[in-house]
Amino acid sequence: MQQHMELTAVRKERVRMGQLSKVYPDGTVAVKDVNLSINEGEFLSFVGPSGCGKSTIFKMITGLSGPTDGTLEVMGTTPKQARKQSDTAFVFQDHTLLPWSSVIDNVSLPLAIRGLSRKERQLEAERVLELVGLKDYMKSMPRQLSGGMKMRASIARALISKPKLLLMDEPFGALDEITRQTLQLELLDLWSQDQEMTVLFVTHNVFEAVFLSTRIAVMTPRPGKIAAVIDVPVPFPRSESFRTTPEFGQIVRSVSDALKH
Amino acid sequence: MRKEVITADPGMYSLSETNPRVAAERKAYKFGWSWWKTLLPPIIAFVIFVGGWELFCRLADIKPYLLPKPSDIVLAATENAANLWVSVWTTIIESVIGFLLSVVLGVGFAIILASSKLVERSIYPYAIIMQTIPIVAIAPIIVIWFGAGVNAIVIIAFLIGFFPMLSNTLIGLNSTDHNMKNLFYLYNASPFQTMFRLRLPSALPYIVAGLKISCTLAVIGAIVGEYIAGIGGGQGGLGYAITVAASRLRTPYLFACGFSASLLGITFFLLVNAFSKWMLSSWHESEMKSSEG
Ligand SMILES: Nc1ncnc2c1ncn2[C@@H]1O[C@H](COP(=O)(O)OP(=O)(O)OP(=O)(O)O)[C@@H](O)[C@H]1O
Ligand SMILES: [Mg+2]
Repeated sequence: MQQHMELTAVRKERVRMGQLSKVYPDGTVAVKDVNLSINEGEFLSFVGPSGCGKSTIFKMITGLSGPTDGTLEVMGTTPKQARKQSDTAFVFQDHTLLPWSSVIDNVSLPLAIRGLSRKERQLEAERVLELVGLKDYMKSMPRQLSGGMKMRASIARALISKPKLLLMDEPFGALDEITRQTLQLELLDLWSQDQEMTVLFVTHNVFEAVFLSTRIAVMTPRPGKIAAVIDVPVPFPRSESFRTTPEFGQIVRSVSDALKH
Repeated sequence: MRKEVITADPGMYSLSETNPRVAAERKAYKFGWSWWKTLLPPIIAFVIFVGGWELFCRLADIKPYLLPKPSDIVLAATENAANLWVSVWTTIIESVIGFLLSVVLGVGFAIILASSKLVERSIYPYAIIMQTIPIVAIAPIIVIWFGAGVNAIVIIAFLIGFFPMLSNTLIGLNSTDHNMKNLFYLYNASPFQTMFRLRLPSALPYIVAGLKISCTLAVIGAIVGEYIAGIGGGQGGLGYAITVAASRLRTPYLFACGFSASLLGITFFLLVNAFSKWMLSSWHESEMKSSEG
């Protein structure tokens, strides 16, 4: 692990958490003393059981709620400031598409909020819809899409602002296994096309975390802590066959072991 | 590769399910049946009821000023068709203006209240109290302030539809999906953008529910207003015509006016209903919700 830190030290630091803690007003200790540094270009997954504070960490990174103790730096500045710079994008568990807007209008929403012209939005929206393979469904309404297609549209909306930091909170949680695996491959594809993009990914699924990540932060609940940070030293591009290698099984086992602590 | 994946996507099933031709055929089949099933019984009941009424009045020889026969009512309506039409038309104008005012101001005030928690908390309790004051109680004050006639009537029709519009819209504006609100916040949307791009469209089903309540209330408001503030001459609305007919014991014409009023209310409601359906048609889920509820 020490070695990895040295190797990636030349890259820019995207998120730094120092003794980060969050106690909710009702006394719930959601996150306690988390130390983690995340660098440019990483794909880092948070794995852990329900209630271990994964979403809470995301809320703090996006500035939706403040830490009660410790330090948190995002893109070298405060979370609120980082959000204002629009270098951060989000994908939630449910697709959060506006039901009254077409796919293209939904996808270009972040740009519309920033006040870009229709022409610019159209151009960018077509680019990201092409990336996620939804260009033919540009004019469709969200209700006409399947769960997997809605999630693709949701990812396209996140990618439209060319984010440096992409936060995904259980994005594939509501999908069936086949769609989920397809989207995992597509996500890795998108991530590898942009060397500067850092992805933070929350999941309950150990297999998903191992398949996608460069590093995995294993979390345990009550209070929410990082039990271990596990490297996945397998080069990209990763293909379906990675899922059946002994290496994959080995890492899955070590993550599962860490979860039991 | 990706193309293949998309065609294998489970979503394709849901697309083929909405195949327009199959759906249209199914609809046509259902329509033919249910149309007769829903329309025939009330028509038969209507014929029996009207026939029984006519027969009863003739056999019992009841005085027309106590209970007119259906034929008397039809006669009174056709003989006074011109007057009746003027009254109906006046009431239409008054209730439409009152209704439109209640929609515009109801939605507008709801937006202002919903923009600030502080404003909402300080004003909304009074809005609720105002709502409980019976309109008949404040109508005379309105007449004193605005004088008898169209102005007062329109204001009464407006007031009666205003509060349902306000409270429905306000509930809608405050029930926006939490995740969606976070999304707008995270993309640095201004409160103005969040209001008009997210909260107002989300509130549409609630607003539509308010429209349906307010439109029938506006007709009632206009007629009540005419009772109290109606002016005579050739301009009186249905409410005024009813009071005049009652005082002169022209009961058949009174009945004709009453039926015209209820017909007006029903037509108004059906129009607003059709308009609501059309407005929500692009928004599948809420249309389902409102048709269930
Ligand atoms: N707004 C809140 N107020 C009080 N307690 C909260 C709040 N949000 C979360 N918690 C508590 O904080 C803890 C961590 O919650 P969090 O949502 O971060 O978990 P999570 O790891 O994302 O879980 P899941 O996998 O189920 O999404 C939980 O015990 C939860 O009950
Ligand atoms: Mg969560």
